[in-house]
Amino acid sequence: MSDRRLPRLLQTPAVILLLMWMLVPLGMTLFFSFIRYVLNSLRRPEWTSPSIDNWRGFGNYEYVLNAKDFWFAVQNSLFIVGSILFVTVVLGLALAVLVNRTFPGRGIVRVLLISPFFVMPAVNAVLWINMILDPVLGLNGLAVEGINSLVKGLQDFPVLGAFFSLWPEFQPVSFRATQTSAYAVIMMVAWQWTPFAVLIFMTSLQSEDEQQKEAAILDGASAWSRFRNLTLPHLGRPIAIVVMIQSIFHLSLYAEIEIVSRGNGNKNLPYLIGEFTSNNIGAASATGIFAVILANIVAIFLLRMVGKNMMD
Amino acid sequence: MAAVAQTSRFGNIFWPTLAWIIALIFFFPIFWMVFTSFKTDADAVKPEFLFVFKPTLENYLNMTENYDYWRFATNSAITATFATLFALVVGVPCAYAMAFNPSRHTKDILVWMLSTKMLPAAAVLYPMTFLTKNFLQIYDTHFLIILVLCLINLPIVIWMLFTYFKEIPKEIIEAGKMDGVNTWGEIKDILIPLAWGGVASTALLTFIFCWNEAYWTVRLTTTEAATLSKLIEGNRAPEGLFFGRLSAVSTAAVGPIVVLGWFCQKQLVRGLTFGAVK
Repeated sequence: MSDRRLPRLLQTPAVILLLMWMLVPLGMTLFFSFIRYVLNSLRRPEWTSPSIDNWRGFGNYEYVLNAKDFWFAVQNSLFIVGSILFVTVVLGLALAVLVNRTFPGRGIVRVLLISPFFVMPAVNAVLWINMILDPVLGLNGLAVEGINSLVKGLQDFPVLGAFFSLWPEFQPVSFRATQTSAYAVIMMVAWQWTPFAVLIFMTSLQSEDEQQKEAAILDGASAWSRFRNLTLPHLGRPIAIVVMIQSIFHLSLYAEIEIVSRGNGNKNLPYLIGEFTSNNIGAASATGIFAVILANIVAIFLLRMVGKNMMD
Repeated sequence: MAAVAQTSRFGNIFWPTLAWIIALIFFFPIFWMVFTSFKTDADAVKPEFLFVFKPTLENYLNMTENYDYWRFATNSAITATFATLFALVVGVPCAYAMAFNPSRHTKDILVWMLSTKMLPAAAVLYPMTFLTKNFLQIYDTHFLIILVLCLINLPIVIWMLFTYFKEIPKEIIEAGKMDGVNTWGEIKDILIPLAWGGVASTALLTFIFCWNEAYWTVRLTTTEAATLSKLIEGNRAPEGLFFGRLSAVSTAAVGPIVVLGWFCQKQLVRGLTFGAVK
């Protein structure tokens, strides 16, 4: 066998598998997005099977673009992803710098910090929404109750009592309403993904030029200006990578929304697609194509960066 | 100089303490889950037993009865193991060819492979349901979940293996060729022993990703092939009365994986940033 054919042959199974995985379902989605296709219809039974005869052109796209839910879902997707990115990058930077020095028990601190990343998303969501954020039985509710009874106890004191009796009774926040459940999702996903940011920033910090830093210390540069002028530029690339990879993952966030927000109106694009899929396949597919476009905008930048870096 | 020394003495106590406090806060939810798993369901919601209680193993002993835990855990283990194996069987030869016989398309193929990972799963939800339910009739089977888990992780597997293989000097493989070793022999006797650490950590990381997957395993199963993600997802409702048993089953579901994860922190960076951060 020639030198050229064998390597190609070895790559073939992987390429064919991935090609099918990409083309077949996506091709079907594209096709469904241009036809009228619903799962149940008493009035128009002919729409319940996918057929070219039910061609609708861009009708599904128009329908989706005019749906209030769609714009809410897009907005909410971006809001959730943006908030998570902000929290994880800022917190990740601070923690990476903090853990990058040597101190007793550093290994254990790193292990504790990285652990949330390996918790499965379903457990993460169930754990947070029930045991931590529940307004009655979770730690959220218990903490508020504790504060209230503390304030009540302090009201009995002679002088301070007058001051504390002015305090209102606190109400625990419920994280199951439309808007608050988005905050709950942001909280739990940020908790899970901050370790990821820390890990990557830490890896990158280890390749920082120590001599340059020492020179800066001797020149009397403050800790903040060292961070601002040396460390931050060094981390520019890892930050970009963290932002892009997380965007791609979080744009398709699903388990957390499903567990925390089912039925309360808080939705992102994947969740909206799931809702449409219960009947209107045409609309679901058109929404899916929009989701692909949104993900691609981020993916192109990421792939370019990865590709450039690949061969060295 | 004195000023520098003084700030660093203060800093030597302050910053590590802060790091410890934040790390403990981050770990707290996991600790709380494990802690609660030793409380009875009744004790778990009583504020007076918040920290002091009589520990019990009852939640773990009743896991099978309450949740049918082992059936879901077996499904998770089977699907994750075989998906990892298949991904390696397909991925190793591919990464081998790409690392040692790159053509001018290799780079494009690698980038394209990654791009398949970036398709949002939800976009193809209905086609996948339709294909597997009506057409191929493999909906809710182990085979389907293994196939899907294998496919969604294949790009990462190939990518990671590629970066490990590239670190092996080409001359070693070529020397083998001179000695008349065939391709299979090259992979088996030279490549795998040399890149053993890389292959093992790739497998470990893939296994973790498969185990934690929560979209396809939930949407493409009902009962037969349902994994732990599906089991936990089914308990989303406010289950205040069952905090104890819910914590126990959650601990059992994530415990082994979190421990496995501790061993592959370093590889995680490689696997998730596609070699872009070193």
